Amino acid sequence: MLWVDKYRPKTLDQVIVHQEIAENLKKLVTEQDCPHLLFYGPSGSGKKTLIMALLRQIFGTSAEKVKVENRTWKIDAGSRTIDLELTTLSSTNHVELSPSDVGFQDRYIVQEIIKEMAKNRPIDTKGKKGYKVLVLNEVDKLSREAQHSLRRTMEKYSASCRLILCCNSSSKVTEAIRSRCLNVRINAPKEEQIVKVLEFIGKKEGLQLPPGFAARIADKSNRSLRRAILSFETCRVQQYPFSSNQAIPPMDWEEYVSEICSDIMREQSPKRLFQVRGKLYELLINCIPPEIILKKLLSELLKKLDEELKHEVCHWAAYYEHRMRMGQKAIFHLEAFLAKFMSIYKAFLIATFG
Amino acid sequence: MQRDIRKWFMKAHDKGNDNAEKKPPPTEPKTETPVCGGQEGSGRRKTSKYFVANKQKQKEDKEVEDLPVKRKAQNDDFQSVKPPPSKKVHKFDDEEEDDDDFSLPKKKNAASPSKKLKSSSGRGIAQKPVHVNESDEDDAKDTESPLKSGGRGRGGRGVSGAPSGGRGRGGGRGGFMNFGERKDPPHKGEKEVPEGAPNCLAGLTFVISGTLDSLEREEAEDLIKRHGGRVTGSVSKKTSYLLCDEDIEGRKSSKAKELGTPFLTEDGLFDKIRSSKNSKAPAREDSKVSVEKVASLPKKSPQKADLKSKSLMSNAAHKDLGAGSQQAKQKDQAIQCSSLIWTEKYRPKVPNEMIGNQSLVTQLHNWLKNWNEQFHDTGNKGKGKKQNDSTAKKAVLLSGPPGIGKTTSAKLVSKMLGFQAIEVNASDNRGKADAKIFKGISGSNANCIKELISNESLGFEMDRSKHLKTVLIMDEVDGMSAGDRGGVADLIASIKISKIPIICICNDRYSQKLKSLVNYCLLLSFRKPTKQQMAKRLNQVAGAEGLQVNEIALEELAERVNGDMRMALNQLQYMSLSMSVINYDDVRQRLQGSAKDEDISPFTAVDKLFGFSGGKLRMDERIDLSMSDPDLVPLLIQENYINYRPSSIGKDDNGMKRMSLIARAAESIADGDIINVQIRRYRQWQLSQTGSLSSCIIPAALLHGSRETLEQGERNFNRFGGWLGKNSTAGKNLRLLEDLHVHLLASRESNMGRETLRLDYLTVLLKQLTDPLRVLPKDEAVEKVVEFMNIYSISQDDMDTIVELSKFQGHGNPLDGIPSTVKAALTRAYKGESKSRMVRAADLVTLPGKKKAPKKRVAAILEPSDDGLREENGDALAESEEENSSDTEDMEGTGNGEKLQSELQSLNSKGIQVEVELKCGKESSKSKKTPTGRGKGGSASTEKKPAGRGRGGSGSSEKPGAKRKR
Repeated sequence: MLWVDKYRPKTLDQVIVHQEIAENLKKLVTEQDCPHLLFYGPSGSGKKTLIMALLRQIFGTSAEKVKVENRTWKIDAGSRTIDLELTTLSSTNHVELSPSDVGFQDRYIVQEIIKEMAKNRPIDTKGKKGYKVLVLNEVDKLSREAQHSLRRTMEKYSASCRLILCCNSSSKVTEAIRSRCLNVRINAPKEEQIVKVLEFIGKKEGLQLPPGFAARIADKSNRSLRRAILSFETCRVQQYPFSSNQAIPPMDWEEYVSEICSDIMREQSPKRLFQVRGKLYELLINCIPPEIILKKLLSELLKKLDEELKHEVCHWAAYYEHRMRMGQKAIFHLEAFLAKFMSIYKAFLIATFG
Repeated sequence: MQRDIRKWFMKAHDKGNDNAEKKPPPTEPKTETPVCGGQEGSGRRKTSKYFVANKQKQKEDKEVEDLPVKRKAQNDDFQSVKPPPSKKVHKFDDEEEDDDDFSLPKKKNAASPSKKLKSSSGRGIAQKPVHVNESDEDDAKDTESPLKSGGRGRGGRGVSGAPSGGRGRGGGRGGFMNFGERKDPPHKGEKEVPEGAPNCLAGLTFVISGTLDSLEREEAEDLIKRHGGRVTGSVSKKTSYLLCDEDIEGRKSSKAKELGTPFLTEDGLFDKIRSSKNSKAPAREDSKVSVEKVASLPKKSPQKADLKSKSLMSNAAHKDLGAGSQQAKQKDQAIQCSSLIWTEKYRPKVPNEMIGNQSLVTQLHNWLKNWNEQFHDTGNKGKGKKQNDSTAKKAVLLSGPPGIGKTTSAKLVSKMLGFQAIEVNASDNRGKADAKIFKGISGSNANCIKELISNESLGFEMDRSKHLKTVLIMDEVDGMSAGDRGGVADLIASIKISKIPIICICNDRYSQKLKSLVNYCLLLSFRKPTKQQMAKRLNQVAGAEGLQVNEIALEELAERVNGDMRMALNQLQYMSLSMSVINYDDVRQRLQGSAKDEDISPFTAVDKLFGFSGGKLRMDERIDLSMSDPDLVPLLIQENYINYRPSSIGKDDNGMKRMSLIARAAESIADGDIINVQIRRYRQWQLSQTGSLSSCIIPAALLHGSRETLEQGERNFNRFGGWLGKNSTAGKNLRLLEDLHVHLLASRESNMGRETLRLDYLTVLLKQLTDPLRVLPKDEAVEKVVEFMNIYSISQDDMDTIVELSKFQGHGNPLDGIPSTVKAALTRAYKGESKSRMVRAADLVTLPGKKKAPKKRVAAILEPSDDGLREENGDALAESEEENSSDTEDMEGTGNGEKLQSELQSLNSKGIQVEVELKCGKESSKSKKTPTGRGKGGSASTEKKPAGRGRGGSGSSEKPGAKRKR
């Protein structure tokens, strides 16, 4: 089993990184009622882990007995019926799903599943405390319509159903929903914390960690604990015993993006743009989300750019990311960004060096 | 001419009656077959209402004409200086042809010879005007102005052949322009273009070469055509002049020198035209007058004697104010008749009059003629015969674009063979016939048809030859739509049982709706007539209506309407309302707007938008181009815009300008994408023009120029948009990733999102799966990997997915360096493991679109003893499930023997049901028995066999039953 999964804290007590939050959550649940929750924070900070631990705290071990189901919903939308398929993880007390997977019809899923859950309310052994928990992942990717429909159902069925929402950026969740939830911000762990976790794992696994090695991994991980542990394990697979100057392998796609980056820094021509388009397609085909590509691209560019250009390039990256979310064909927007960058950078080079 | 037409209508009975008065013998057969004659007469009267209205008048005319008509043959002999004997010969020819092509039923031939004679002579006349006119004019000119003699005739004829070639070349030239643009004329628009006499260039053939001094090539072509000349693409012996202002030593000029063709400059052409106006025009006027005189002279004397031939020249006669009261009458009639639209008025009356497609008409004729013998044989109940002649079809399907005479020919042929045509078209409800046929004819139309085709009219004596023969014409079968539910299927059923011939007519033979129908029909595809053919016919019509139209104009008209005869006639009639003389220019001008839209492929559209002259296109043209396929054109633009070197940047040494233009274009394309989302998702279709503006027009406007290749070995043509393919690959990979994701979730070891899986986990998973194979010894490695796969419920497919998603172009294959023996060992180990191991949660999760695989394992768990047999059973099971998808759903998730058992039972009962249904079905007794027997056998055998097998058996036993049901 991968270390990430092996050493994932199962209960709120085992949590190492966000101990105060875990404490608070525990108090929250033990005091009878649990409000709707919205967890947000960067990826790899432990939102999901906290949620699972929280569920276990509420429902006991039964929350761990989950069943994966591929469910089909038949939805009556006016004149036609829509068939939607979605994978759900459910135990007796909770259902977890990512409604954004079905695209812009996500609103039907949201309405339908909540209604259904409200209908069959579980009854506790003691005959009380009958509520189910619905965990919605990637709420920030929900369409605006879905978020609006969520707003009403959240109130209407609040007696029988609690929502735990999970997302990266709370700015893409509408104000209305945010105000109906208890917002829990999960920070990215500090590097010292990551180092601490890595050392903990190393001890459990009985590994010899050279000094400074864990710090290097933490540095590379971009403050994502998951990333850190995964690359820690990759290093382990690659070479053991560790040497202190061992290379930490980057993710395959990150490597590719930085290739693109150096490509466009080196030459700005239609020909190069054409080649880069092929590479972008390659990334998209391999299921790398376009937003991530753009983000990574920008951060790679910023490493190499001159100070005076950074501001402008950032501006354009933001501009095109916004447009990409409004549009549909991501490649058009990515390409537009690259073309824009090439034109700016070329002008800059000519102005500076003649 | 009107009168002529009317005679046509009359001919059937009026003339017959006339004949009857004069010549008693022919009438006798008529009385013998009263049914036939009466039928026809009434039929005609119905189709031509105007005829009834004017009947009185005609009768009057008739009385005057009567005598001359009958004496006509003699008259011809006497007077024939002008209508030369050729006319008569022609007539006979036609008769012979008639017999060859359309040998009428013998019975009819014998019965009413007079009628037949009339019909052929009538037609002969209908065709005559051309010859008469031509010969008249030629003669006249011969005498008057030998200079121009034959010029006209030749000019007319010559043009008929030429322009098609010229046009074709024109298109080619357009393409050529993309590579090396032709220079603009140096003095464009500076010279005054002269106006000359309308036909001053008649008989001359021009070839244009190089750049002219002041005219664009198209303008020059127009000018020449307007004055009756002819423009061809290449130099030949017939070429009169090579029009060029500079000797560019091309192919044309060298050929011209070789042939000794004179060169003519643009100024020379202008002079020619100008001089014609000054000197020749008056002379021409004279000749015209004299033509009329000559033409009308012979007419005056035999005015009464040969009214028919004169009416043919009503063209000339109309103008002749000095004509007698007869002509005044004619004019009156012309006005009265004009209420009838020309398409009806000049609908062909005999199959030979059809323009083009003669062979198809003949085929149709033969088919209809032989129909009765083939399917309906008298005497012997000819079932055996039908089977012998499997190629013969009971129905025929005519297809072709509108306006080329499909319906007309169907009607004509059936009328000619004495069938009564019953036409059902899109205006009738053609849905499926009611099952309750007892409603009878009073019910829907479809019931009528059923009645019609399945019943035979009963006569007093059962003599088939006396029966009224009918033919059903199903018009516009491809138009059967929502209203006509089951229409095509019902039509097919009708064809199968029909006792009368059925003619189906459609526009698009390859329509999806007609796919099934096509198998039951003899297919006849009508083609568009050539424009020469059309022009000829139009000329006849114009002549008959007293219009002066030159042939070039008619050909232009024919070309503009794209082979649609009906449209051509309509246009002609429309134009006749405002003018009596129609020239080339009029046609051009009139049809400029109404020209049928040409089909344009997305590639051509992109070529044009990005081409050199892309900047000169008008805005509406650009919108048209980009709208030719609003989905595909933007994709093509996006794919190719980088390749163009914009002509607007001029000399751009460092590529700076081009880069910034590309950036702007890319942004505009991205705009287009955003607008497209608005259009599609929120149905804001009013934005579609904006969308095409930003996704096609702006990028093209910025970057149009020459195309250059970016890769080595790339062809310098626009590529097809890559987005579609890439998008579908990405979609496929996303699905695969989702499968993997579900499996990982089902292993309950992890709880990551799909994105996280791809971004963070995938690298490690790949390492865990492949690195040991590379480093460790074979057995150990395999064991380790399989163990890892089991922990995370990774199947072999998932492993392929992981490898697939980690491949990047330009990077090595992740599986490189792993010996193939190790891979094989891994596969074996994994397979071996899968037999004995516990069922994993992931196996029970059904994935969308994948239903087969999990079943096998479920079956395998049910009976954990003896493995080998299980495997076989599993296979059989899986197969049976493929056939029978309804069962698979029942099987999902659950896996106990009881379920299986109950299913088996339900299946058995299904088998019985099938059997019962079949017994109820009204199949012939023979076909009933076979499935019954099988069904029983199958279900009987299933009861004895063990569950797993039984299912397979019953599944397969059900299959024939199910098929039978369908």
